Amino acid sequence: MDRFKKAALLTALAENLRKKGSWCGETHLQKATYFLQELQKVPVGFDFILYKHGPFSFELRDALTAMRSDGLFELHQQWPYGPSLIPTQKSRDLRQQYSKTMEKYQKQLNFVADQLGKQNVSELEKLATALYIRMESSSKSENQRAKYLHALKPHVSLDDSLEAIKTVEGIVKRAKSASA
Amino acid sequence: MCPAPKKVSKHYHELRDPVHIFVHFDSDERKVVDSRPLQRLRHIHQLALTYLIYPGATHRRFEHCLGVMELAGRVFDVVTSQDNVTDRIRESLPEIKKPNVLQYWRRVLRMAALCHDVGHLPFSHAAERELLPSNWDHERLTREIIYSPEMQEIWGQLTPPLRADDIVRVALGPAKAKDLKFTVWETILSEIIVGDAFGVDRIDYLLRDSHHAGVAYGKFDHHRLIDTLRILPSPDTEEPALGVEEGGLQSAEALLWARYLIYVQVYLHPVRRIYDIHLRDFLKAWLDKGRFLTNIEAHLRMTDNEVTSALLAAARSKRSAGHDPASRIVKREHFKKLYERNPLDVQENSEAASAIFKAAEQEFGSDNLRFDQYPAKGGGHDFPVLLSDNRIVRSGAASAVLLKVPPIAAEFIFVAPDKRDKAMAWIEMNRKSIITRWEKKNG
Repeated sequence: MDRFKKAALLTALAENLRKKGSWCGETHLQKATYFLQELQKVPVGFDFILYKHGPFSFELRDALTAMRSDGLFELHQQWPYGPSLIPTQKSRDLRQQYSKTMEKYQKQLNFVADQLGKQNVSELEKLATALYIRMESSSKSENQRAKYLHALKPHVSLDDSLEAIKTVEGIVKRAKSASA
Repeated sequence: MCPAPKKVSKHYHELRDPVHIFVHFDSDERKVVDSRPLQRLRHIHQLALTYLIYPGATHRRFEHCLGVMELAGRVFDVVTSQDNVTDRIRESLPEIKKPNVLQYWRRVLRMAALCHDVGHLPFSHAAERELLPSNWDHERLTREIIYSPEMQEIWGQLTPPLRADDIVRVALGPAKAKDLKFTVWETILSEIIVGDAFGVDRIDYLLRDSHHAGVAYGKFDHHRLIDTLRILPSPDTEEPALGVEEGGLQSAEALLWARYLIYVQVYLHPVRRIYDIHLRDFLKAWLDKGRFLTNIEAHLRMTDNEVTSALLAAARSKRSAGHDPASRIVKREHFKKLYERNPLDVQENSEAASAIFKAAEQEFGSDNLRFDQYPAKGGGHDFPVLLSDNRIVRSGAASAVLLKVPPIAAEFIFVAPDKRDKAMAWIEMNRKSIITRWEKKNG
């Protein structure tokens, strides 16, 4: 997928998250893109590793910075949060250029925004890490995965880890039934 | 008469340094400083051929690596000082509570800082692109050297002995060692070296490059910044991260502006960029199969000295491989800037530069043109800030200035000197029509 098609999808994802109430900082977009790619199988082609607040892609970080440089996103200060990434008019023009792609992935974009749009950064960290663990070791029991999450992120309690694992199971089931 | 006292050999050493005044190390660390991979860096220019534009910029990677080691130790001492660590952080990072463990990691950090650039090719970044096999870069070479038998022997001789795995993790960080798993503690240590916001690699090269280039752009109050660095819980998730006290926020802002300005004025100077391209063209012609070798022995043998010697010889002889680019460098007959990325054209068309380049190639032929691209990259400078009332907030909320630092991006089109006037007239006539001709994506 070329970089402008990816850019069109990322700005659409940001628009959808904002419509659901997200203040849409970089962390929101990182985690939402992870769900879009790994759960919804939209081939945006980013390489995610476990890093700040869960799965993180340095390539996606670079892509977002390049999109700011190209005038597709603007940073707006959002006290008391961090900066929001706001899609520009130019990004709307770009999405029109890729109308077929937008149509093809609209359902997946909506699904991710529905599931994550209202989550704060702390919840996103837990859910995205829970999905990362599920992708890595789906055969393990929920309790085993919760222990692993707690070991990877010691600041997340075991109870919260288990809850995140169960919430992600629910999201995965809804994703399957939505795509059936 | 008393016998003459026995001469005690010195265990602590210091070197004079123009930026940090003194760089300190002990006899164990000296074994690494004296190793072949480190000594080779005495012959690798920090800023490639920038000295052809800024004559003072002849400094080498060797002193940069010493400076990064010095600063890494200073930052480590500040952020792990018991006065600067809260109970919450002590709970999250048990390493901080154990003096022996801290001592081990301090040594790992300093050695990782010292070795973080040992994989650099001749002329540092200038020659890296296109001149290594796919999946290779200087960080991978750095890793191979840290794991090499020669260095493993040294790691084993230190007190305490160091694990090469730990040095690699901390030297490269998660972005360049994606196959390795990092604990939160290791992530923080690697941020001390390679972090986007205030990694000591960045602090040292900004100060050192501005000092040698003779420009003021890279300077900022690094003493204040280092004194106010802290390990803090992230405001949203509690995950520990490298942050800063409110009193150091302006120094952090100044660092990021310093970086922006020195990039624009020095690193992305168009003449410097075209010399990089001519150097790359020369190396492609001169090297066997147009590539550097990646085995350690070959890497350690190849420095700027070997390349410069070959470059000068090639410039003298028309029959030598790479004569044309070598001659352009030596005689200063480099290609000239024809077009540069600018906000007005980018607003119209994000791909304005490449569109103009394609059209110019058809008009003047590809041999007479070169295209250079430095894409915007890096992070949004998100780090925790400890306010004076003990609240912890994200940097983007505490500083309006940070949000204003523009992403750094550059694109240049260069043209052969004899075609320059004609090309300038052509671009004046056609620029507008080329960039407004949006390619229909229809995807």
